[in-house]
Amino acid sequence: MNLKEYRTVFLVASLALMIIATFPTLSMVMSSPSSRERFSEFWLLGPEHAAENYPFNVRADEMQGPIYLGVGNHMGCSEHYLIYVKFRNQTQQPPSSTASKPSPLPPLYEFQFFLEDGEAWETPLNFIIRNTSLQKDSIFVGNISINGVTFPVSCTSTWDSKNNGFYYQLFFELWIYDLGNSSFHFHNRFVGIWLNVTV
Amino acid sequence: MSASKLFFVFLVLLVFLVPNFVPESSASDSDSTSSAIKQAEATMVSAYEAVLEAEQVGANVSDLLARLNVAAENLANAHIRQGLGDFENATRFANLCYDIGEEVRGEARKLKIETYRPYVTSLLIRTIVSNASIIGIILASFLGWHAFKRRYYKRMLRMKPQVD
Repeated sequence: MNLKEYRTVFLVASLALMIIATFPTLSMVMSSPSSRERFSEFWLLGPEHAAENYPFNVRADEMQGPIYLGVGNHMGCSEHYLIYVKFRNQTQQPPSSTASKPSPLPPLYEFQFFLEDGEAWETPLNFIIRNTSLQKDSIFVGNISINGVTFPVSCTSTWDSKNNGFYYQLFFELWIYDLGNSSFHFHNRFVGIWLNVTV
Repeated sequence: MSASKLFFVFLVLLVFLVPNFVPESSASDSDSTSSAIKQAEATMVSAYEAVLEAEQVGANVSDLLARLNVAAENLANAHIRQGLGDFENATRFANLCYDIGEEVRGEARKLKIETYRPYVTSLLIRTIVSNASIIGIILASFLGWHAFKRRYYKRMLRMKPQVD
């Protein structure tokens, strides 16, 4: 090896040592971006805390549930969530996951909560369909009680001859707080149950 | 009784009877509830931002989030009651939310500073140590290189050329 080559070895070794010396400081100010996927889980379970035996054939003034509504946070930091509870018949607009649009129906009930990354939240929910009346080929639902609070809905469903019933949907939209826009936005997740209402 | 006296009696009766016929949920109730809810929402957002800032510097924010959840439940109840026209309870829930939100915001800011101070101290110490190490490496390399060069030349000069 000649002197020029020795000089290169010296320079490379010195630079390597300098990089090692700066590592403790750099590791404090530079954080490596997480490569894991960021998402929120949203689930609805039946009375046995399983994805079965959801309330379906519902009579007026009978308590239904509890059904369990849950959210899991895997967004990488604490998040502020909002769940809107809505009620509709078969002709009213549901939320759309392809268009990322919530249902235009007004919310009846809501849940708000904060979740740390990796944590989950769950709540039971009971409901009672009230003030129903049969009118020729349709059923009118006047009110619905959710967790003991009664809301006027005034919703009519006509006879579905294909599925033999008067169908309504109780559904839940997940919204998340966006700090950039300082408002909640639809998180493109919703769950719901179909109810065949009888008088 | 003269007409003016009768009119006076009628007026007094009217003053006492009118409040009974006025609906309780007047427009002013609705307005004050809306402003209480807006205030509570703003406090919740700023408390949440403060908690996130504390979380970003490595603070444990579990307790703060648990309390913020109580505030969030109150805010949800305020919205529900407002929707049902129960302005009195809606305002009560909004005020509860506001009080908790204010407390959490203050504590989150304190927690951020408390967590941030050791972080800055540690960063300062590491920066000083790193810089001192770099200066040491440069000096050692410079001196080492010159010593090596001298030894190299000496060894070269001691070598005797051989002719076969």
